[in-house]
Amino acid sequence: MNKPTNSGARRNPWTRREFLLRSGALGVAGASLPALLAACGGGGGGANALLFDNWPLYIDPTEDGLVGSVDRFMEASGVDMTYTESYNDNDEYFAKIQPLLGAGKRIDPDLIAPTFWMAGRLINLGWVDKLPLDKVANTSNLEDNYVKPPWDPTGEYSMPWQAGTAGIAYNIDVTGRELKSTADLFDPAFKGKIGMLTEMRDTMGLILMSQGVDITSISSFDQAAGAFEQLEKAKADGQIRAFTGNDYIDDLVSGNYAACVGWSGDVLQLGKDSPNIRFVVPEEGGTLWADVMVMPKGTENTDAVAKWLDFVYDPEQAAQITSYVQYFSPVKGVREEVAKIDPELAENPLVFPDAETASRLKSWANLSEDVDAQFADAFSSITGA
Amino acid sequence: MLARRADNLGLAALAVAAVCLVALGAGWFDGPLNALVLLVLLVVLGGVGVLAAFGGPEARRLLAPYGLMKPGLLWMALFFLAPVWSLVRISLSTKESRFSVQYNFTWAWDNYSRAFSDFGGQFQRAFLYSLIATLLTIVIGYPVAYVIAFRGGRFKNLLLGLVVIPFFTSYLIRTIAWSTILADQGPIVSLLNTFGLVNVFEWLHIMENGKLLNTPAAVIGGLTYNFLPFMLLPIYVSLEKIDPNLVNAANDLYSTPTAAFRKVVFPLSIPGVFAGTLLTFIPAAGDFVNAQFLGNPNTTMIGNSIQDQFLKQNNYPVASAMSTVLMVSITALVLLYTRFFGTEELA
Repeated sequence: MNKPTNSGARRNPWTRREFLLRSGALGVAGASLPALLAACGGGGGGANALLFDNWPLYIDPTEDGLVGSVDRFMEASGVDMTYTESYNDNDEYFAKIQPLLGAGKRIDPDLIAPTFWMAGRLINLGWVDKLPLDKVANTSNLEDNYVKPPWDPTGEYSMPWQAGTAGIAYNIDVTGRELKSTADLFDPAFKGKIGMLTEMRDTMGLILMSQGVDITSISSFDQAAGAFEQLEKAKADGQIRAFTGNDYIDDLVSGNYAACVGWSGDVLQLGKDSPNIRFVVPEEGGTLWADVMVMPKGTENTDAVAKWLDFVYDPEQAAQITSYVQYFSPVKGVREEVAKIDPELAENPLVFPDAETASRLKSWANLSEDVDAQFADAFSSITGA
Repeated sequence: MLARRADNLGLAALAVAAVCLVALGAGWFDGPLNALVLLVLLVVLGGVGVLAAFGGPEARRLLAPYGLMKPGLLWMALFFLAPVWSLVRISLSTKESRFSVQYNFTWAWDNYSRAFSDFGGQFQRAFLYSLIATLLTIVIGYPVAYVIAFRGGRFKNLLLGLVVIPFFTSYLIRTIAWSTILADQGPIVSLLNTFGLVNVFEWLHIMENGKLLNTPAAVIGGLTYNFLPFMLLPIYVSLEKIDPNLVNAANDLYSTPTAAFRKVVFPLSIPGVFAGTLLTFIPAAGDFVNAQFLGNPNTTMIGNSIQDQFLKQNNYPVASAMSTVLMVSITALVLLYTRFFGTEELA
């Protein structure tokens, strides 16, 4: 009776009883699915666990016979680490954690890596805990210019993960010429083939510098009004194809973009396979930023956090990360270690800036809360969405 | 007697239970009061249950309709009325401070004026694009449905299957796939270049600057593609129901095929077109995926703005105001449409 074989069964291949049994089985499968997912979510719980939620493609993975940093760390420390890549956009992530942290509840990750200005906001709001720096011997390896930075004046809440620069990324097959200036992004020849980042400070930073505004000391919205007008006009004219986050890479490679505002490490990682993708720090200047590790308020796994910080601030380990992600390392002595693995990379001014490149890199002043809100509103009204 | 008033009691219990659920869902009260509301809800439902169990057959007969309505109505109370209540309430609230998660209800109508003044363009585009897409789905979907229904023969089910098969892939993937197909160095643009048709397409305003992707045409095209089956299937159903003898009869009376279609087939298929229009236009007007992946910063639709205000700018009041306006205007349009074109029976 279980297997209908006669032709009459074709009309009603499942008997009522079978149907009930099978839908029951489905129901059980459905009920256990969330449990399975929760089990995969991992993190939290055990005292010796660590959940680090970072930006995508921001660490050396275990592949091609190399053991990635996360696996090396778990091996060396015995910490059960979960590394996730769901930090895609500062504002989006903030919107996600705000209802929890704002209500005094804790979020799952023990460590996140917001960009410096977002870290500054979280510190001001009191939504992060002090890092267990007294248990981290390698803090002495922090590069001098990141000691007590403007976004974290006491230096107790954040440790940089990686730093880098926003400049111009371009596909020379489409542009047909080398680019070197932010003004090139507004060249009518590239109409509809220019991409901009949704990261306000990077996009506006380049435009402001090309207009001669000093972003290291900017303090009011009026100083930036001209730059916002230029962006608004470029958008209205159809010069700009899209405002994107991390996903600008695909459009650049496929040739939909001639040029865009991009991040140094992304383009360098890409350059290995696609030599037609180039990156330049514009002659008017590029922005210097850092993504910094902070502990959301209420984190319990502070010992594991301390072990992780100690691990990634060991120059030998940091060199592995740098040689993969190709961003600026905030750790002293990395260049010497990278030279041992990849001497060519150690000489690349876009990974280890020389004096000439460094002189063109500027980092944003700390904007006051009100001014920051004005900038954010003006920018979001242009990016449209 | 209690049992003779069972119908009134059933109605009252239903209303009280619905209000309780809205109160719980929309968070009218805090803390301990919620427990009280829950208690009221359980007592009311339990009371009706007791009445039905011990009130005799007459009471059960009177209670039955309300009992049958209960699952649907209570579901709607919790998952439709309560959220709408919250939405409208937040749309009239202000935030305590920029990063606050507290919204204070202050009759803040300026959220609505901001929704119109800052996002008027997005509203217009949402309605314009979805209107064009709806018309295109009729133009494309009707003939296909017609052929499947009248000429499909034994391939009917196969052809219908082909229409539905793309739906086995995620909506997002299908839309992103179009961005590869329409890319500047993708197959379609290359083909147009080879045949020198780019100028024609630019003259038709389908292409801009030699590109097809990230143009209004791409957004409308994406909407049309994604919603086509929602138009095609209802039309197919209404065409399929038509008795072929009616067409034969028209032919016997010396009607031309065109006249037979115009006077017999088309009027009978109107319910399908009507249902398809609703199924296409309503979701298309609120869509943000197509404009996100196939559009440019000048083609954003209201869905993109709502998503941005909710998920990135954290501006729940303005986002709620926009959602409310969208909901109300779509409802108004649908009511008008039903009034003028609607039919009694939907396919």
